[in-house]
Amino acid sequence: MPDLQKLYDAVLSGDRNTAVAVTQEAIATGGDPLELISKYMVPAMDEVGRLFECEEYFVPELLLSARAMKGSLELLRPLLAARGAQPVGRVVIGTVKGDLHDIGKNLVASLLEGGGFEVIDFGADVAPEKFIAAVQEKGANIVALSALLTVTMPAMRTTIDALKQAGVRERIKVMVGGAPVTEQFAAEIGADGYSDNASAAVTLARRLTATAVRP
Amino acid sequence: MRLMLISCEVLFREMCDAAARSPHQVDVEFLPKGLHDLGGKGMAVEMQRRIDAVPAGKYDAILLGYGLCGNGLHGISARHTMLVLPRAHDCIALLMGSREKHQQYFDEHPGTYYRSTGWLERGKGLQQLTHVTTGIDVTLDQMIEKYGEDNGRYLHEELTRYRSAYTRLTYIATGLEADSRFEEEARWEAAERGWEFERLAGNLVLVHRLVSGDWGGGDFVIAQPGERFRASYDDSIVRIEERA
Ligand code: B12
Repeated sequence: MPDLQKLYDAVLSGDRNTAVAVTQEAIATGGDPLELISKYMVPAMDEVGRLFECEEYFVPELLLSARAMKGSLELLRPLLAARGAQPVGRVVIGTVKGDLHDIGKNLVASLLEGGGFEVIDFGADVAPEKFIAAVQEKGANIVALSALLTVTMPAMRTTIDALKQAGVRERIKVMVGGAPVTEQFAAEIGADGYSDNASAAVTLARRLTATAVRP
Repeated sequence: MRLMLISCEVLFREMCDAAARSPHQVDVEFLPKGLHDLGGKGMAVEMQRRIDAVPAGKYDAILLGYGLCGNGLHGISARHTMLVLPRAHDCIALLMGSREKHQQYFDEHPGTYYRSTGWLERGKGLQQLTHVTTGIDVTLDQMIEKYGEDNGRYLHEELTRYRSAYTRLTYIATGLEADSRFEEEARWEAAERGWEFERLAGNLVLVHRLVSGDWGGGDFVIAQPGERFRASYDDSIVRIEERA
Protein backbone atom coordinates (compact mmCIF):
# COMPACT_ATOMS: atom_id res chain seq x y z
CA MET A 1 0.00 0.00 0.00
CA PRO A 2 1.42 3.42 -0.97
CA ASP A 3 1.75 6.23 1.53
CA LEU A 4 -1.73 7.72 1.24
CA GLN A 5 -0.65 10.98 2.79
CA LYS A 6 0.81 11.55 -0.68
CA LEU A 7 -2.71 11.51 -2.09
CA TYR A 8 -3.73 14.18 0.38
CA ASP A 9 -0.69 16.27 -0.54
CA ALA A 10 -1.23 15.82 -4.28
CA VAL A 11 -4.82 17.03 -4.07
CA LEU A 12 -3.80 19.92 -1.85
CA SER A 13 -1.07 21.03 -4.23
CA GLY A 14 -3.06 20.34 -7.39
CA ASP A 15 -0.69 17.64 -8.64
CA ARG A 16 -2.93 15.48 -10.80
CA ASN A 17 -0.24 13.10 -12.00
CA THR A 18 0.80 12.14 -8.49
CA ALA A 19 -2.83 11.85 -7.36
CA VAL A 20 -3.53 9.45 -10.20
CA ALA A 21 -0.34 7.43 -9.62
CA VAL A 22 -0.96 7.01 -5.90
CA THR A 23 -4.56 6.04 -6.56
CA GLN A 24 -3.51 3.41 -9.11
CA GLU A 25 -1.03 1.96 -6.68
CA ALA A 26 -3.57 1.94 -3.88
CA ILE A 27 -6.11 0.14 -6.06
CA ALA A 28 -3.51 -2.43 -7.13
CA THR A 29 -2.71 -3.20 -3.51
CA GLY A 30 -6.32 -3.55 -2.47
CA GLY A 31 -6.98 -0.12 -0.97
CA ASP A 32 -10.55 0.78 -0.07
CA PRO A 33 -11.90 3.37 -2.55
CA LEU A 34 -14.26 4.88 -0.01
CA GLU A 35 -11.47 5.35 2.47
CA LEU A 36 -9.27 7.04 -0.14
CA ILE A 37 -12.05 9.49 -0.83
CA SER A 38 -13.30 10.21 2.66
CA LYS A 39 -10.03 10.06 4.59
CA TYR A 40 -7.71 11.75 2.13
CA MET A 41 -9.34 13.54 -0.76
CA VAL A 42 -12.27 15.16 1.01
CA PRO A 43 -10.13 16.49 3.88
CA ALA A 44 -7.62 17.78 1.32
CA MET A 45 -10.38 19.65 -0.54
CA ASP A 46 -11.67 21.05 2.76
CA GLU A 47 -8.20 22.41 3.43
CA VAL A 48 -8.11 23.86 -0.10
CA GLY A 49 -11.40 25.61 0.67
CA ARG A 50 -9.96 27.00 3.87
CA LEU A 51 -6.86 28.32 2.12
CA PHE A 52 -9.13 29.99 -0.46
CA GLU A 53 -11.17 31.62 2.29
CA CYS A 54 -8.07 33.14 3.86
CA GLU A 55 -6.76 34.20 0.45
CA GLU A 56 -3.71 31.99 0.34
CA TYR A 57 -5.23 30.11 -2.60
CA PHE A 58 -6.95 31.73 -5.55
CA VAL A 59 -9.11 30.41 -8.36
CA PRO A 60 -6.27 28.72 -10.32
CA GLU A 61 -5.21 26.73 -7.24
CA LEU A 62 -8.83 25.70 -6.63
CA LEU A 63 -9.18 24.50 -10.19
CA LEU A 64 -5.96 22.48 -10.00
CA SER A 65 -6.93 20.76 -6.77
CA ALA A 66 -10.34 19.92 -8.19
CA ARG A 67 -8.59 18.53 -11.26
CA ALA A 68 -6.32 16.32 -9.15
CA MET A 69 -9.28 15.04 -7.16
CA LYS A 70 -11.23 14.32 -10.34
CA GLY A 71 -8.31 12.40 -11.84
CA SER A 72 -8.33 10.08 -8.86
CA LEU A 73 -12.13 9.83 -8.73
CA GLU A 74 -12.28 8.68 -12.33
CA LEU A 75 -10.31 5.61 -11.32
CA LEU A 76 -12.31 4.95 -8.18
CA ARG A 77 -15.81 5.47 -9.51
CA PRO A 78 -15.99 2.25 -11.56
CA LEU A 79 -14.87 0.31 -8.49
CA LEU A 80 -17.57 1.87 -6.37
CA ALA A 81 -20.16 1.18 -9.05
CA ALA A 82 -19.04 -2.45 -9.34
CA ARG A 83 -19.65 -2.84 -5.62
CA GLY A 84 -23.16 -1.56 -6.17
CA ALA A 85 -22.51 1.59 -4.13
CA GLN A 86 -25.29 4.11 -4.71
CA PRO A 87 -24.57 7.82 -5.18
CA VAL A 88 -25.47 9.90 -2.14
CA GLY A 89 -27.87 11.81 -4.36
CA ARG A 90 -28.34 13.06 -7.88
CA VAL A 91 -27.72 16.77 -8.40
CA VAL A 92 -28.51 18.80 -11.47
CA ILE A 93 -26.45 22.00 -11.44
CA GLY A 94 -26.21 25.04 -13.68
CA THR A 95 -25.79 28.80 -13.82
CA VAL A 96 -29.19 30.40 -14.40
CA LYS A 97 -30.50 31.83 -17.64
CA GLY A 98 -28.70 34.91 -18.95
CA ASP A 99 -25.65 34.39 -16.75
CA LEU A 100 -22.41 33.02 -18.19
CA HIS A 101 -20.23 32.95 -15.09
CA ASP A 102 -19.31 29.35 -14.36
CA ILE A 103 -16.07 29.15 -12.37
CA GLY A 104 -17.76 28.92 -8.96
CA LYS A 105 -20.44 26.58 -10.26
CA ASN A 106 -17.79 24.25 -11.70
CA LEU A 107 -16.03 24.08 -8.35
CA VAL A 108 -19.25 23.27 -6.55
CA ALA A 109 -19.94 20.53 -9.13
CA SER A 110 -16.46 19.00 -8.64
CA LEU A 111 -16.74 18.99 -4.89
CA LEU A 112 -20.19 17.45 -5.00
CA GLU A 113 -18.74 14.65 -7.12
CA GLY A 114 -15.96 14.24 -4.61
CA GLY A 115 -18.63 14.08 -1.92
CA GLY A 116 -20.24 11.07 -3.60
CA PHE A 117 -23.00 12.79 -5.55
CA GLU A 118 -23.88 12.03 -9.12
CA VAL A 119 -23.71 15.40 -10.86
CA ILE A 120 -25.46 16.45 -14.04
CA ASP A 121 -23.81 19.72 -15.06
CA PHE A 122 -25.73 21.77 -17.60
CA GLY A 123 -23.14 24.54 -17.78
CA ALA A 124 -24.13 28.20 -17.87
CA ASP A 125 -27.16 30.15 -19.17
CA VAL A 126 -29.52 27.30 -18.32
CA ALA A 127 -33.26 27.76 -18.93
CA PRO A 128 -35.76 26.58 -16.29
CA GLU A 129 -37.16 23.94 -18.67
CA LYS A 130 -33.82 22.13 -18.68
CA PHE A 131 -33.84 21.81 -14.90
CA ILE A 132 -37.41 20.53 -15.01
CA ALA A 133 -36.47 17.94 -17.65
CA ALA A 134 -33.55 16.75 -15.53
CA VAL A 135 -35.86 16.18 -12.59
CA GLN A 136 -38.52 14.44 -14.67
CA GLU A 137 -36.32 12.39 -16.95
CA LYS A 138 -33.11 11.87 -15.02
CA GLY A 139 -34.49 11.66 -11.53
CA ALA A 140 -32.39 14.46 -10.07
CA ASN A 141 -33.36 15.06 -6.46
CA ILE A 142 -31.37 18.25 -5.90
CA VAL A 143 -31.42 21.28 -8.17
CA ALA A 144 -28.40 23.55 -7.61
CA LEU A 145 -28.53 27.05 -9.09
CA SER A 146 -25.69 29.52 -9.40
CA ALA A 147 -25.85 33.25 -10.28
CA LEU A 148 -23.07 35.85 -10.27
CA LEU A 149 -25.01 38.86 -11.49
CA THR A 150 -27.65 40.69 -9.49
CA VAL A 151 -29.27 41.08 -12.92
CA THR A 152 -29.78 37.32 -13.18
CA MET A 153 -30.66 36.58 -9.55
CA PRO A 154 -34.37 36.98 -10.39
CA ALA A 155 -33.92 34.02 -12.78
CA MET A 156 -33.40 31.87 -9.67
CA ARG A 157 -36.85 32.80 -8.50
CA THR A 158 -38.26 32.17 -11.99
CA THR A 159 -36.62 28.75 -12.07
CA ILE A 160 -38.06 27.77 -8.69
CA ASP A 161 -41.48 29.01 -9.77
CA ALA A 162 -41.21 26.98 -12.99
CA LEU A 163 -40.35 23.87 -10.95
CA LYS A 164 -43.52 24.48 -8.93
CA GLN A 165 -45.58 25.00 -12.07
CA ALA A 166 -44.29 21.73 -13.48
CA GLY A 167 -45.40 20.01 -10.30
CA VAL A 168 -41.94 18.72 -9.36
CA ARG A 169 -40.98 21.19 -6.63
CA GLU A 170 -42.15 18.89 -3.81
CA ARG A 171 -39.98 16.03 -5.02
CA ILE A 172 -36.72 17.89 -4.92
CA LYS A 173 -34.57 20.24 -2.89
CA VAL A 174 -33.26 23.47 -4.34
CA MET A 175 -29.95 25.00 -3.28
CA VAL A 176 -28.63 28.33 -4.48
CA GLY A 177 -25.31 30.19 -4.43
CA GLY A 178 -22.93 32.56 -6.19
CA ALA A 179 -21.20 35.70 -4.92
CA PRO A 180 -24.16 38.14 -4.75
CA VAL A 181 -26.64 35.58 -3.38
CA THR A 182 -27.47 35.79 0.32
CA GLU A 183 -29.17 33.58 2.89
CA GLN A 184 -31.99 36.10 3.04
CA PHE A 185 -32.51 36.07 -0.72
CA ALA A 186 -32.51 32.27 -0.72
CA ALA A 187 -35.26 32.25 1.89
CA GLU A 188 -37.23 34.90 0.02
CA ILE A 189 -37.39 32.93 -3.22
CA GLY A 190 -38.24 29.69 -1.43
CA ALA A 191 -34.96 27.82 -1.90
CA ASP A 192 -34.19 25.05 0.60
CA GLY A 193 -30.60 26.02 1.19
CA TYR A 194 -27.76 28.44 0.50
CA SER A 195 -24.04 28.34 1.04
CA ASP A 196 -21.29 30.77 0.20
CA ASN A 197 -18.58 28.27 -0.69
CA ALA A 198 -18.08 24.93 -2.36
CA SER A 199 -17.16 22.80 0.68
CA ALA A 200 -20.18 24.05 2.58
CA ALA A 201 -22.27 23.28 -0.51
CA VAL A 202 -21.42 19.59 -0.09
CA THR A 203 -22.42 19.60 3.59
CA LEU A 204 -25.60 21.39 2.61
CA ALA A 205 -26.39 18.90 -0.17
CA ARG A 206 -25.91 16.02 2.31
CA ARG A 207 -28.28 17.63 4.76
CA LEU A 208 -30.83 18.23 2.02
CA THR A 209 -30.69 14.66 0.65
CA ALA A 210 -31.22 13.28 4.13
CA THR A 211 -34.70 14.78 3.90
CA ALA A 212 -35.25 14.34 0.14
CA VAL A 213 -36.66 11.46 -1.88
CA ARG A 214 -33.87 9.09 -2.94
CA PRO A 215 -33.15 8.73 -6.68
CA MET B 1 -24.25 73.01 -3.98
CA ARG B 2 -20.84 71.63 -3.26
CA LEU B 3 -20.72 67.96 -4.23
CA MET B 4 -18.22 65.16 -3.82
CA LEU B 5 -18.32 62.56 -6.58
CA ILE B 6 -16.74 59.19 -5.89
CA SER B 7 -16.82 57.14 -9.05
CA CYS B 8 -15.45 54.01 -10.63
CA GLU B 9 -12.80 54.93 -13.18
CA VAL B 10 -14.66 52.84 -15.75
CA LEU B 11 -16.90 55.94 -16.13
CA PHE B 12 -13.98 58.38 -16.22
CA ARG B 13 -14.82 60.19 -19.46
CA GLU B 14 -18.56 60.22 -18.78
CA MET B 15 -18.18 61.60 -15.25
CA CYS B 16 -15.64 64.25 -16.28
CA ASP B 17 -18.04 65.44 -18.96
CA ALA B 18 -20.90 65.57 -16.48
CA ALA B 19 -18.79 67.36 -13.84
CA ALA B 20 -17.72 69.98 -16.38
CA ARG B 21 -21.33 70.71 -17.27
CA SER B 22 -22.76 70.58 -13.76
CA PRO B 23 -24.25 73.78 -12.35
CA HIS B 24 -22.65 72.78 -9.05
CA GLN B 25 -19.10 72.71 -7.78
CA VAL B 26 -18.04 69.09 -8.01
CA ASP B 27 -14.91 67.50 -6.55
CA VAL B 28 -14.12 64.16 -8.11
CA GLU B 29 -12.33 61.07 -6.90
CA PHE B 30 -11.95 58.01 -9.09
CA LEU B 31 -11.42 54.56 -7.63
CA PRO B 32 -9.79 51.69 -9.53
CA LYS B 33 -11.97 49.52 -11.73
CA GLY B 34 -10.21 46.52 -10.24
CA LEU B 35 -12.14 47.09 -6.99
CA HIS B 36 -15.09 45.30 -8.46
CA ASP B 37 -13.11 42.15 -8.88
CA LEU B 38 -12.81 41.87 -5.13
CA GLY B 39 -16.40 40.68 -4.93
CA GLY B 40 -19.22 42.41 -3.07
CA LYS B 41 -17.82 42.20 0.45
CA GLY B 42 -14.28 43.26 -0.39
CA MET B 43 -15.49 46.09 -2.57
CA ALA B 44 -17.91 47.34 0.11
CA VAL B 45 -15.11 47.55 2.68
CA GLU B 46 -13.06 49.74 0.36
CA MET B 47 -16.05 51.90 -0.65
CA GLN B 48 -16.87 52.50 3.00
CA ARG B 49 -13.27 53.46 3.74
CA ARG B 50 -13.29 56.07 0.96
CA ILE B 51 -16.61 57.52 2.06
CA ASP B 52 -15.43 57.71 5.67
CA ALA B 53 -12.43 59.74 4.48
CA VAL B 54 -14.66 62.56 3.16
CA PRO B 55 -14.48 65.43 5.67
CA ALA B 56 -17.66 66.26 7.62
CA GLY B 57 -19.56 69.44 6.78
CA LYS B 58 -17.69 70.20 3.56
CA TYR B 59 -20.21 68.86 1.02
CA ASP B 60 -23.94 68.97 0.53
CA ALA B 61 -23.90 65.43 -0.80
CA ILE B 62 -21.59 62.58 -1.76
CA LEU B 63 -22.45 61.21 -5.20
CA LEU B 64 -21.61 57.62 -6.04
CA GLY B 65 -20.72 56.81 -9.64
CA TYR B 66 -21.71 53.18 -9.21
CA GLY B 67 -24.59 50.77 -9.31
CA LEU B 68 -25.23 47.95 -6.86
CA CYS B 69 -22.15 46.34 -8.49
CA GLY B 70 -22.57 42.78 -7.31
CA ASN B 71 -23.43 43.97 -3.78
CA GLY B 72 -20.33 46.15 -3.67
CA LEU B 73 -22.55 49.01 -2.47
CA HIS B 74 -24.68 46.87 -0.15
CA GLY B 75 -24.46 48.06 3.45
CA ILE B 76 -22.76 51.38 2.63
CA SER B 77 -23.56 54.50 4.70
CA ALA B 78 -22.11 57.90 5.55
CA ARG B 79 -21.96 59.29 9.06
CA HIS B 80 -22.43 62.96 8.30
CA THR B 81 -23.29 63.62 4.66
CA MET B 82 -26.12 62.51 2.42
CA LEU B 83 -25.30 59.84 -0.19
CA VAL B 84 -26.81 59.63 -3.68
CA LEU B 85 -26.68 56.42 -5.71
CA PRO B 86 -28.29 55.68 -9.09
CA ARG B 87 -30.63 52.69 -9.11
CA ALA B 88 -28.66 50.45 -11.43
CA HIS B 89 -27.15 46.99 -11.33
CA ASP B 90 -23.84 48.21 -12.67
CA CYS B 91 -22.06 50.62 -15.02
CA ILE B 92 -23.67 49.04 -18.07
CA ALA B 93 -27.04 50.50 -16.99
CA LEU B 94 -25.40 53.91 -16.38
CA LEU B 95 -24.03 53.82 -19.92
CA MET B 96 -27.37 52.79 -21.40
CA GLY B 97 -29.34 55.47 -19.59
CA SER B 98 -31.78 53.46 -17.48
CA ARG B 99 -32.12 50.26 -15.54
CA GLU B 100 -35.12 49.30 -17.66
CA LYS B 101 -33.17 49.64 -20.90
CA HIS B 102 -30.32 47.62 -19.39
CA GLN B 103 -32.63 44.82 -18.23
CA GLN B 104 -34.39 44.70 -21.57
CA TYR B 105 -31.18 44.63 -23.58
CA PHE B 106 -29.71 42.02 -21.25
CA ASP B 107 -32.77 39.76 -21.55
CA GLU B 108 -32.88 40.08 -25.32
CA HIS B 109 -29.17 39.54 -25.86
CA PRO B 110 -27.83 36.72 -23.72
CA GLY B 111 -24.14 35.90 -24.14
CA THR B 112 -23.11 39.51 -24.60
CA TYR B 113 -19.88 41.02 -23.43
CA TYR B 114 -19.99 44.79 -22.99
CA ARG B 115 -17.37 47.36 -23.86
CA SER B 116 -17.14 51.15 -23.60
CA THR B 117 -14.22 53.56 -23.50
CA GLY B 118 -13.67 52.80 -19.82
CA TRP B 119 -13.96 49.05 -20.34
CA LEU B 120 -11.28 49.34 -23.02
CA GLU B 121 -8.75 51.80 -21.66
CA ARG B 122 -9.10 51.19 -17.93
CA GLY B 123 -7.61 47.74 -17.50
CA LYS B 124 -8.51 45.37 -20.26
CA GLY B 125 -10.98 42.65 -19.41
CA LEU B 126 -10.93 42.29 -15.70
CA GLN B 127 -7.18 42.55 -15.66
CA GLN B 128 -6.13 44.76 -12.79
CA LEU B 129 -6.70 42.50 -9.83
CA THR B 130 -8.50 39.60 -11.34
CA HIS B 131 -5.67 38.07 -13.14
CA VAL B 132 -3.96 37.14 -9.95
CA THR B 133 -7.10 35.94 -8.25
CA THR B 134 -9.08 34.28 -11.04
CA GLY B 135 -6.51 33.79 -13.77
CA ILE B 136 -8.80 35.44 -16.35
CA ASP B 137 -6.77 37.06 -19.16
CA VAL B 138 -3.47 35.54 -18.06
CA THR B 139 -1.54 34.38 -21.12
CA LEU B 140 -0.70 30.76 -21.78
CA ASP B 141 3.01 31.46 -21.33
CA GLN B 142 2.47 33.09 -17.95
CA MET B 143 0.32 30.18 -16.83
CA ILE B 144 2.91 27.64 -17.87
CA GLU B 145 5.65 29.59 -16.18
CA LYS B 146 3.74 29.67 -12.92
CA TYR B 147 2.05 26.26 -12.86
CA GLY B 148 4.15 24.09 -15.15
CA GLU B 149 3.37 22.73 -18.60
CA ASP B 150 0.51 20.34 -17.82
CA ASN B 151 -1.37 22.39 -15.24
CA GLY B 152 -0.62 25.65 -17.05
CA ARG B 153 -2.24 24.43 -20.25
CA TYR B 154 -5.20 23.07 -18.35
CA LEU B 155 -5.78 26.37 -16.53
CA HIS B 156 -5.47 28.39 -19.70
CA GLU B 157 -8.04 26.20 -21.40
CA GLU B 158 -10.46 26.34 -18.46
CA LEU B 159 -10.14 30.09 -18.03
CA THR B 160 -10.54 31.04 -21.67
CA ARG B 161 -13.46 28.71 -22.33
CA TYR B 162 -15.86 31.57 -21.60
CA ARG B 163 -14.82 33.10 -24.90
CA SER B 164 -16.71 30.46 -26.83
CA ALA B 165 -19.74 30.84 -24.53
CA TYR B 166 -20.20 34.47 -25.56
CA THR B 167 -21.68 35.28 -28.95
CA ARG B 168 -21.72 39.04 -29.10
CA LEU B 169 -19.72 42.08 -28.13
CA THR B 170 -21.70 45.24 -27.68
CA TYR B 171 -19.79 48.48 -27.77
CA ILE B 172 -21.64 51.29 -26.04
CA ALA B 173 -20.75 54.52 -27.78
CA THR B 174 -21.36 57.63 -25.69
CA GLY B 175 -20.32 60.30 -28.19
CA LEU B 176 -17.47 61.39 -25.91
CA GLU B 177 -14.84 59.43 -27.81
CA ALA B 178 -12.17 61.58 -29.43
CA ASP B 179 -12.02 59.41 -32.53
CA SER B 180 -12.93 55.96 -33.77
CA ARG B 181 -10.11 54.14 -32.00
CA PHE B 182 -12.26 52.64 -29.26
CA GLU B 183 -14.89 51.35 -31.61
CA GLU B 184 -12.20 49.91 -33.87
CA GLU B 185 -10.56 48.15 -30.97
CA ALA B 186 -13.90 46.70 -29.88
CA ARG B 187 -14.61 45.54 -33.44
CA TRP B 188 -11.20 43.95 -33.60
CA GLU B 189 -11.76 42.15 -30.30
CA ALA B 190 -15.13 40.81 -31.44
CA ALA B 191 -13.63 39.55 -34.70
CA GLU B 192 -10.68 38.00 -32.87
CA ARG B 193 -12.97 36.06 -30.53
CA GLY B 194 -15.48 35.18 -33.24
CA TRP B 195 -18.25 37.25 -31.65
CA GLU B 196 -20.87 39.30 -33.42
CA PHE B 197 -20.25 43.04 -33.07
CA GLU B 198 -22.90 45.57 -32.22
CA ARG B 199 -22.58 49.30 -31.71
CA LEU B 200 -25.16 50.62 -29.32
CA ALA B 201 -25.74 54.31 -28.82
CA GLY B 202 -25.31 55.04 -25.12
CA ASN B 203 -27.34 57.49 -23.10
CA LEU B 204 -25.74 59.47 -20.31
CA VAL B 205 -28.90 60.91 -18.81
CA LEU B 206 -28.42 59.10 -15.48
CA VAL B 207 -24.80 60.20 -15.23
CA HIS B 208 -25.72 63.82 -15.95
CA ARG B 209 -28.66 63.83 -13.58
CA LEU B 210 -26.49 62.39 -10.81
CA VAL B 211 -23.85 65.06 -11.15
CA SER B 212 -26.21 67.98 -11.76
CA GLY B 213 -28.35 67.28 -8.70
CA ASP B 214 -31.51 66.14 -10.48
CA TRP B 215 -32.30 63.18 -8.23
CA GLY B 216 -36.08 62.95 -8.39
CA GLY B 217 -38.39 60.48 -10.09
CA GLY B 218 -37.26 57.30 -8.37
CA ASP B 219 -34.09 56.80 -10.39
CA PHE B 220 -31.79 57.51 -7.44
CA VAL B 221 -31.64 56.27 -3.87
CA ILE B 222 -30.75 58.84 -1.25
CA ALA B 223 -29.31 57.77 2.10
CA GLN B 224 -29.49 60.36 4.86
CA PRO B 225 -26.55 60.31 7.32
CA GLY B 226 -26.54 57.01 9.17
CA GLU B 227 -28.87 55.25 6.72
CA ARG B 228 -27.62 52.22 4.82
CA PHE B 229 -28.08 51.00 1.25
CA ARG B 230 -29.41 47.49 0.82
CA ALA B 231 -29.82 45.25 -2.22
CA SER B 232 -33.58 44.98 -2.71
CA TYR B 233 -33.65 42.00 -5.12
CA ASP B 234 -36.50 43.51 -7.10
CA ASP B 235 -36.95 46.13 -9.82
CA SER B 236 -35.92 48.91 -7.46
CA ILE B 237 -32.45 47.27 -7.18
CA VAL B 238 -31.36 49.26 -4.11
CA ARG B 239 -33.31 50.51 -1.12
CA ILE B 240 -32.64 52.02 2.29
CA GLU B 241 -32.36 49.62 5.19
CA GLU B 242 -35.07 50.07 7.82
CA ARG B 243 -33.63 51.16 11.10
CA ALA B 244 -33.70 48.60 13.87
C1 B12 C 1 -14.29 36.10 -13.37
C2 B12 C 1 -15.42 37.08 -13.66
C3 B12 C 1 -15.89 37.14 -14.98
C4 B12 C 1 -15.42 36.23 -16.10
C5 B12 C 1 -16.22 34.91 -16.00
C6 B12 C 1 -15.47 33.67 -16.46
C7 B12 C 1 -16.23 32.41 -16.15
N1 B12 C 1 -15.95 31.39 -16.90
O1 B12 C 1 -17.05 32.33 -15.24
C8 B12 C 1 -15.78 37.07 -17.37
C9 B12 C 1 -14.59 37.96 -17.71
C10 B12 C 1 -16.17 36.29 -18.62
C11 B12 C 1 -16.93 37.93 -16.81
C12 B12 C 1 -17.92 38.51 -17.60
C13 B12 C 1 -18.85 39.42 -17.12
N2 B12 C 1 -18.91 39.92 -15.87
CO1 B12 C 1 -17.96 39.18 -14.36
N3 B12 C 1 -16.93 38.77 -12.84
C14 B12 C 1 -15.97 37.90 -12.62
C15 B12 C 1 -15.49 38.05 -11.15
C16 B12 C 1 -14.23 38.93 -11.15
C17 B12 C 1 -15.17 36.76 -10.41
C18 B12 C 1 -16.23 35.66 -10.44
C19 B12 C 1 -15.61 34.34 -10.02
O2 B12 C 1 -15.40 33.47 -10.86
N4 B12 C 1 -15.25 34.20 -8.74
C20 B12 C 1 -14.58 33.01 -8.19
C21 B12 C 1 -15.57 31.90 -7.79
C22 B12 C 1 -14.83 30.74 -7.17
O3 B12 C 1 -16.46 32.45 -6.81
P1 B12 C 1 -18.05 32.34 -6.92
O4 B12 C 1 -18.46 32.31 -8.33
O5 B12 C 1 -18.65 33.33 -6.02
O6 B12 C 1 -18.38 30.87 -6.36
C23 B12 C 1 -18.21 30.45 -5.01
C24 B12 C 1 -19.45 30.68 -4.12
O7 B12 C 1 -20.22 31.80 -4.50
C25 B12 C 1 -20.20 29.39 -4.15
N5 B12 C 1 -21.16 29.12 -5.22
C26 B12 C 1 -21.15 29.50 -6.52
N6 B12 C 1 -22.19 28.96 -7.18
C27 B12 C 1 -22.89 28.22 -6.30
C28 B12 C 1 -24.04 27.45 -6.44
C29 B12 C 1 -24.57 26.76 -5.34
C30 B12 C 1 -25.80 25.93 -5.51
C31 B12 C 1 -23.93 26.89 -4.06
C32 B12 C 1 -24.53 26.22 -2.90
C33 B12 C 1 -22.77 27.67 -3.92
C34 B12 C 1 -22.25 28.32 -5.03
O8 B12 C 1 -19.15 28.43 -4.23
C35 B12 C 1 -18.09 28.92 -5.08
C36 B12 C 1 -16.78 28.35 -4.66
O9 B12 C 1 -16.45 28.63 -3.31
C37 B12 C 1 -16.73 38.77 -10.50
C38 B12 C 1 -16.44 39.61 -9.26
C39 B12 C 1 -16.45 38.74 -8.03
N7 B12 C 1 -15.38 38.75 -7.31
O10 B12 C 1 -17.42 38.05 -7.76
C40 B12 C 1 -17.24 39.62 -11.69
C41 B12 C 1 -18.71 40.07 -11.73
C42 B12 C 1 -19.63 38.94 -11.29
N8 B12 C 1 -18.90 40.32 -13.17
C43 B12 C 1 -19.60 41.37 -13.42
C44 B12 C 1 -19.93 41.85 -14.73
C45 B12 C 1 -20.59 43.22 -14.80
C46 B12 C 1 -19.67 41.07 -15.87
C47 B12 C 1 -20.08 41.41 -17.32
C48 B12 C 1 -21.51 41.94 -17.49
C49 B12 C 1 -18.99 42.38 -17.81
C50 B12 C 1 -19.10 42.89 -19.25
N9 B12 C 1 -18.39 43.95 -19.53
O11 B12 C 1 -19.76 42.35 -20.10
C51 B12 C 1 -19.90 40.02 -18.00
C52 B12 C 1 -21.15 39.10 -17.84
C53 B12 C 1 -21.94 38.77 -19.05
C54 B12 C 1 -22.95 37.66 -18.78
N10 B12 C 1 -24.02 37.68 -19.54
O12 B12 C 1 -22.80 36.82 -17.93
C55 B12 C 1 -20.06 42.06 -12.14
C56 B12 C 1 -21.55 41.80 -11.85
C57 B12 C 1 -22.32 43.05 -11.45
C58 B12 C 1 -23.79 42.73 -11.46
N11 B12 C 1 -24.51 43.35 -12.36
O13 B12 C 1 -24.27 41.93 -10.69
C59 B12 C 1 -19.08 41.45 -11.07
C60 B12 C 1 -19.67 41.30 -9.67
C61 B12 C 1 -17.95 42.46 -11.00
C62 B12 C 1 -18.47 43.85 -10.55
N12 B12 C 1 -18.51 44.14 -9.29
O14 B12 C 1 -18.86 44.64 -11.37
N13 B12 C 1 -16.84 38.04 -15.45
